[in-house]
Amino acid sequence: MTTRQFGAPVQRREDPRLLTGGGRYLDDLGHTAYEAAFVRSPYAHARILEIDTDAAVDVDGVIAIYTHEDLPGAVGEPLPVLIPHPALTAARTGYPLAKGEVNHVGEAVVMVVATNRYVAEDAVDRIVVRYEQLPPVVGIENAREAAHLVHEDAPGNVSAHLVQEVGDVTSAMAGAPHTLTLELDIERSACMPMEGKGVYARWNSDDESLRVYSSTQTSTGVRACVAAKLDLPLAKVECIAPDVGGGFGVKIMHPWPEEVLVPWASRNLDHDVKWTEDRREHFISSAHERGQLQEVTVGFDDEGRMLALDVRFWHDNGAYTPYGIIVPIITATQLLGPYKPGSYRVEFFSLYTNTVLVTPYRGAGRPQGCFAMERTMDAIAAHLGIDRAEVRSRNFIQPDEMPYDHGLMFQDGRPLKYDSGDFPASLAKLKELVGWDDFADYRAQAEAEGRKVGLGIGCYVEGTGVGPYEGGHIQIETNGRVNVATGLTTQGQGHQTSLAQIVADELGVPIENVHVTTGDTRRMAYAVGTFASRAAVMSGNAVALAAKVVRAKALRIAADALEVSPEDLEIEDGVISVKGAPGSSIDLGTIAVMSNPLRYAFDEAAKKATQFAGTFDVEKPPIGDDDEPGLEGQDFYSPTQATFANGMHAAIVETDPVTAEIRILRYCVVHDCGNMINPLIVEGQVHGGVAQGVGGALYERMVYDESGQLLNASFMDFLMPYASEVPFIETDHLETPSPLNPLGIKGAGEAGTIPVTAVIASAIEDAEGFPITSMPISPPELWALRRAHARKDAS
Amino acid sequence: MKISGSNTLTAPVDQVWGAMLDPAVLARCLPGCESLTTTGPDEYAMRVTAGVAAIKGTYDGQVAITDKDEPQSLRMKASGSGAPGTIDAVVDVRLAPHDGGGTVLSYDADATVGGTIGGVGQRMLAGVTRKMAGEFFTALDNDIATGGAVAVEPELAMAGAPAAQAPTPGVGAVYAGRAPAPGGFDLGDAKGFVLGTVLGGALVAIGVLLGSRLGRRR
Repeated sequence: MTTRQFGAPVQRREDPRLLTGGGRYLDDLGHTAYEAAFVRSPYAHARILEIDTDAAVDVDGVIAIYTHEDLPGAVGEPLPVLIPHPALTAARTGYPLAKGEVNHVGEAVVMVVATNRYVAEDAVDRIVVRYEQLPPVVGIENAREAAHLVHEDAPGNVSAHLVQEVGDVTSAMAGAPHTLTLELDIERSACMPMEGKGVYARWNSDDESLRVYSSTQTSTGVRACVAAKLDLPLAKVECIAPDVGGGFGVKIMHPWPEEVLVPWASRNLDHDVKWTEDRREHFISSAHERGQLQEVTVGFDDEGRMLALDVRFWHDNGAYTPYGIIVPIITATQLLGPYKPGSYRVEFFSLYTNTVLVTPYRGAGRPQGCFAMERTMDAIAAHLGIDRAEVRSRNFIQPDEMPYDHGLMFQDGRPLKYDSGDFPASLAKLKELVGWDDFADYRAQAEAEGRKVGLGIGCYVEGTGVGPYEGGHIQIETNGRVNVATGLTTQGQGHQTSLAQIVADELGVPIENVHVTTGDTRRMAYAVGTFASRAAVMSGNAVALAAKVVRAKALRIAADALEVSPEDLEIEDGVISVKGAPGSSIDLGTIAVMSNPLRYAFDEAAKKATQFAGTFDVEKPPIGDDDEPGLEGQDFYSPTQATFANGMHAAIVETDPVTAEIRILRYCVVHDCGNMINPLIVEGQVHGGVAQGVGGALYERMVYDESGQLLNASFMDFLMPYASEVPFIETDHLETPSPLNPLGIKGAGEAGTIPVTAVIASAIEDAEGFPITSMPISPPELWALRRAHARKDAS
Repeated sequence: MKISGSNTLTAPVDQVWGAMLDPAVLARCLPGCESLTTTGPDEYAMRVTAGVAAIKGTYDGQVAITDKDEPQSLRMKASGSGAPGTIDAVVDVRLAPHDGGGTVLSYDADATVGGTIGGVGQRMLAGVTRKMAGEFFTALDNDIATGGAVAVEPELAMAGAPAAQAPTPGVGAVYAGRAPAPGGFDLGDAKGFVLGTVLGGALVAIGVLLGSRLGRRR
């Protein structure tokens, strides 16, 4: 037997190429291209009075300068509202280039195309834009107060208001023996992929076709938008995601203004054009996430069981809502985690501010929801004097209650129905891993040494693998090479490895023969994209289904040739043989030759398929009625609902009694993403996720001043954790397979990030003995909290 | 961004007051000032070359002096924009006699800095601005002490109007600054890059904006 690949810790096959500089990222492409640079708004909110490009026109090497007035037809219209929702009553999107008004610092106002970026930047410097400043709305409180409006026609700065309720919260709350209210605050952060965005477009005037390369998480999405904006037949537009240096969500947003403008300019100028985002542009003109104010009221019994949960929160959606209200919807639904709330009411307001727009960032609303729920769990435990793990345990959905329907609508418009999970088992593993029951001793010992330590915990459930679908296409060449294509994109997930493992198993071929292409509309025109921890679930199952199609075809052709029944055949190492009679065999390459009857031979192998080779039955047509030439096939995977992965994290932190420095001593993860295709890759995803979570918990924030200027728009001032700040991560896995898909898998991409803020807050609270309600938290903030609580205690 | 500071000048209050309202003096003393044009009573347009670190450029700005309470206090409103960013500032300036003679000049500036310089240069701005303000006041003091020895005569923008015939500077008078100020602001070990300043007229005139040239390493 060939060694089964599924479940094996196969080392990432793409790494040798990427680690030795063989990657081809967006800016590695297009050596002959003109390059674009943008004049961006220096004001958070202003009217554009005049744009004077005179001084820029004469710069040697400038090819074109565009303002909104130059944009024809659909190119000059507002960018699409990608995900409409009935509650999104005041959706607003920007224009590719600002039309009359700017709504955040960094909004593109003028596009310059020049022979290279240096020239383009010089020209940008010479363009003078006169503005009339308007009062900016910065911060959730100001947006809520609505003394000024971001969009005159969006009253109260509200883009959306949504209420969901399950059960009768009012009466359940009234009848609850205990109630608590928490006011919580969570700051902005951002994806910060190593490679920013970038677009490279090649218009071919000879055949009037357009090829677009974009550093995107959805090449099919970009393709469709570009074709629509430029009024081109879809067949004349192809979009390719080359190697992408990280996405984390920001690149699922599309089309970015540049994704419309660069292809349009390429056609307009009949020349290839490229734009590569620089870091400052990424800070001020891409997207952020996370910022919310939350108010949680919970009613519970003497045992700590929730009877009613009433949540209101205010979500900062930035200046525009092109991605709809996906993030607050996810917060509202995924907040519940592994718990039964008794009855649940959740209401949110999505608010406009004059800041960079907000679209999903790894975790996508879940870190905020988890923070609200887990802070609530700790508050119940503190109120009743019950162990924090015990309170959680008492509220868990039990394994025999699966599938568990919360009665809410999830982000995919389908029921929030958990498919699988064993929360008590996960908690038991976590307590064992971190030494939960021995912590009191550890703390006593630390205290004796004058040290302050705390233990924190956080649990989450993550809807992963949302639809609508993904496809797989597999073609076996005459030399036995297996070409696999799926339409979603890759930005570090290791699809070249994990998807190849699945196909190698299904087809019975060595993994070395399997070559995976992602994010290329020339190879797979139907796809959605890489987000919501969905690639393994969606494309993993799609390529598995496609492999089954191809396998069946190969066996059918081989059965004819070997004059046996297909059921008597097996495939191993790329060779089909009769079970029990290994001498009677035929390799897949030969089957590929036979699958494609030829008139013309192009190589030795092909001769066997030509018309005088005598290899066919003259009574039958070369291609049967229901058949197609070629050893290839495709299939699509489209589930009825999302799969729900889950996990529980615990951390031990130490806070310096004098400086309030916060150090993570231990970080433990128990993770359940169903069957693991590749535990090494899952582990890597968890590690990367925790690292980003640590950033969100302790370091990263977007510092806006009252005028809407982002003050820390560089890596000098925006802190990301280094290896020195990311703790050693101890992991354990529970595999409860999803019943929803043939492979039994659930997503893993965002898991590591989701609970970290909640866990660190819990641990700091445990160390300090006062509530932590606002995250991220810095040493100066902790120090100030200590002083405030000391004063309160003294008085 | 709020910046406060004070400097002690050797000249008496009256002279400092007068100098601060004299566009010719301002043009001479403002770091990076290329030109200053009166656009109305106590209103000027100016062009300043300034920068923080590598983010440098030429700013066109407007300055207006209001709320004059001679010779104790005044308010300057300044705004400017250029390739590296934008500045809007309100500066309250107070003058008081110094015990040992001379003048204590204190200021409170509230500046909004936008664009590249706001996002990238932010943490350097307060320090740079304070330093530039100090340099400005020193230059002002020296200018008073030397009676404007190196004064530059105003050139009237109106053709044919001889500069010498302008008894008092009128609207449209243009005063040349000393902008590329060689060796003006050497930050010790700073690597010969251009550091910042201010559009600052009085406080640095104004709030000071962003930067002027620093001495280059030879």
